[in-house]
Amino acid sequence: MQDLIELAISATAGGCIYALLALAYLVVLRPTGIINFAVGDWATVAAFAGYLGLSRYELPWAAGMPLVIVLAALLGWVTERIAVRPLVERGAPVLAPILALLGMLVVFRESVSLIFGPDPLPVPQPLGYGRIEWGLIAGSYQSFFIMGVTALLFCGTWYFFERTLAGRSFEAVALDRKAAALMGINLRRVTACAFAAGGAIAGLAALLLTPNTSAHYLMGIPLAIQGFTALVIGGVGRIEGALAGGLILSFAEQLTVRYAPIPAGLAQGVPLVLLIGFLLVRPQGLLLARGSSR
Amino acid sequence: MRTLLLVTLSVLVLSAIGFALGPYQTDVYRKLLLWVALALSYNFLFGVAGQVAFSHFTFYGIGAYAMPILLFQAGLPLPVAVVVALVVVILVALAVAIPATRLDGFYLALATLALAQLFIVVLNEGGEVTGGTGGLTNYRLPDIAGVALSGPRYTVVIVLVVVFTWFALQRVDRSFFGRACRAVRDNPQAAAAVGIDIARTKVMAYVLTSALAAVAGMVYAFVDNTVNPPIFGLENTFLLLFMVIIGGSGSLPGAVIGAVLLYLLPFVLAPLIGHHHALVFGLVMVAAVLLQPRGLIGVIESLTARWKRR
Repeated sequence: MQDLIELAISATAGGCIYALLALAYLVVLRPTGIINFAVGDWATVAAFAGYLGLSRYELPWAAGMPLVIVLAALLGWVTERIAVRPLVERGAPVLAPILALLGMLVVFRESVSLIFGPDPLPVPQPLGYGRIEWGLIAGSYQSFFIMGVTALLFCGTWYFFERTLAGRSFEAVALDRKAAALMGINLRRVTACAFAAGGAIAGLAALLLTPNTSAHYLMGIPLAIQGFTALVIGGVGRIEGALAGGLILSFAEQLTVRYAPIPAGLAQGVPLVLLIGFLLVRPQGLLLARGSSR
Repeated sequence: MRTLLLVTLSVLVLSAIGFALGPYQTDVYRKLLLWVALALSYNFLFGVAGQVAFSHFTFYGIGAYAMPILLFQAGLPLPVAVVVALVVVILVALAVAIPATRLDGFYLALATLALAQLFIVVLNEGGEVTGGTGGLTNYRLPDIAGVALSGPRYTVVIVLVVVFTWFALQRVDRSFFGRACRAVRDNPQAAAAVGIDIARTKVMAYVLTSALAAVAGMVYAFVDNTVNPPIFGLENTFLLLFMVIIGGSGSLPGAVIGAVLLYLLPFVLAPLIGHHHALVFGLVMVAAVLLQPRGLIGVIESLTARWKRR
C-alpha cells in the first residue's frame, strides 16, 4: 500500500510534466491547426537556459524561473515570426509551417549541442532535496512542487480561456477562423500569442523536469512524443483533456514498469502502443482539431 | 525501347563508377546509392502521394533485419527469404495504412512516428533474434549460383536496385495511378468526384513505397554485413524528409539532387564545422520551405525558364 501510494505520487508528478507539454501543443493547435513538434526542443532550450541561470549564475529560483519562462515565451514568439507567419500570410497549406517547425526543431537542438556540448548539465532543485512524509502520503519535495505549479497553471489557463474576453477570442478562432476575423479578432495577434504561450508552457515543463533528469540536448524528441501522446489520449477539444491525458499516460507507464512482467526496455514501448491504440480506437480528438481549424 | 536503352546505359555508367573506386570510396558510394533509392521512394510517398509518414526507415530496417534473420536463423534459401520478407513488409504496411485512411489530417504522421519509435524499442529488446542494442553481425551473403557477390560486383546489385526504383517509380508516376495520387494529394474531393477511390490510392501508394524501402534495406544488410538499431531511427527519417524537401518534393531528379547533396555535404563541411552539419541542414530546410517550396529543382527550373526566354 505504502509502495502504491508512493508510486502514485511520482506518477502524478510525471503526468503533470506530460500534461504541460500536451497543453503547449494544445494552445498552438487549437487556434492554428498546426501540430508543433518543436515543443520538445523549446523545452530543451529552456532547460539549458535554466542551467545557465540557476546553476551557473546561481540565481534564486524566484528570479530565475520567471526569467526562463519569459525567455521561452520569447523563443515561441520568434519561432512564429520566422517559421510560421510568412507561410500563413502567403496562404500556404497547413503542412508547410509544420515542416518549417520540424526544421526549427533541428536548428534549436543543434544550436544547443554546439553551445553546451553533448554532456548532460544539472539544474538545481527549487526546494532542495528532501521528502515529505505525511502518514501514508510520502514523496520528494520536487514531486509536490511540480503538482502545485501545474495545478496553478491549469487553473489559470482554464480561467483565461473560459472567463476572459481574450481567451474567448482564442476559442472563437479555433472554432471558425474566418468568422472570428470578421468579428474583428486579430488573427495575427492570436497566432503570435498562441506560440508565445506554447513556448512559455514548454519552458515551465522543462524547468520542473530537469532538476530530476538534467538538461540534455537530445531530450526534445522524447518529450515531444510523450506530450502529443498525452494530447491524443485526452483529446484536443478541452484544456482538461491535456491534464487527464498526461496523468493516464504517466500512470500507464509507471504501473507497467513496476508491476508488469516484461523487461524495463520493453516498457518504453507502452506509451507508443497506447498512442497507436488511441489513434485507432478513439481518434475523435484529432478529427475535432482538423475540423475546427478550417 | 528508349527506356530500355536508358536503363542499360545508366546501369553501365553507375556500375563502371563502382569498379573505378577504392575500398573507402566504394563504401561511401554504396551508401550514397542507397540514400538515393530511399529518397526516390520517399519522394513518391511524400511528394507525389502527399502522405506525411515517418516510417520509411522502419521498413528499410525490417528489410535489412529480415535478411540475416531469415537466411541464417530460419535457414531459408535466399529467394524464399526475399519473398517472405516482402510479404511481411506488405502486411505491416497494410496494417498501418488501412486504419489511416479512415481519418483525415496528420493521423498518419503521428501513428508512424510512434511506429518508428516502437520499432527501435523492439530491436533493442529482441534478444537473440535481433541481437539487442549490438544488432546482428558476422554473417555474409551466400554465393549465388557459385558466384561470390562482393566488392564491385555487389555494387552492381545496388546500382540495379536504384535504377529499378527510379524507372519503376517513373513508370508509376506517369500511369493512371500516379495521376490519381497527385489528384488525391491536391484535392481529395475533386478526385473522389471523378471516380478515384481515395482510400485505395493512399493505401497502395504507402504499401508500394514501403516495399521499395524494404528492398533497399535487404540490399543494405550485406553492405556492412551488420545491422544495428540506431541506423533505422527517427534521425535518418528526418534527414530523408529534408533531402526530399530541399531537393524538390514530387520530382524524381529533385529527390536525387537532395539525397546526393545532403549525403555528401557532411564530408565537405566536416573540416569547417565538425559534426554540426545537422544545424546547416535545419537552416536550409527552413529556408527551403519559406523561400522555395519546390526545392532546388524549382530553383533550377525557374533559372532555365528565364534563360530560355532570352
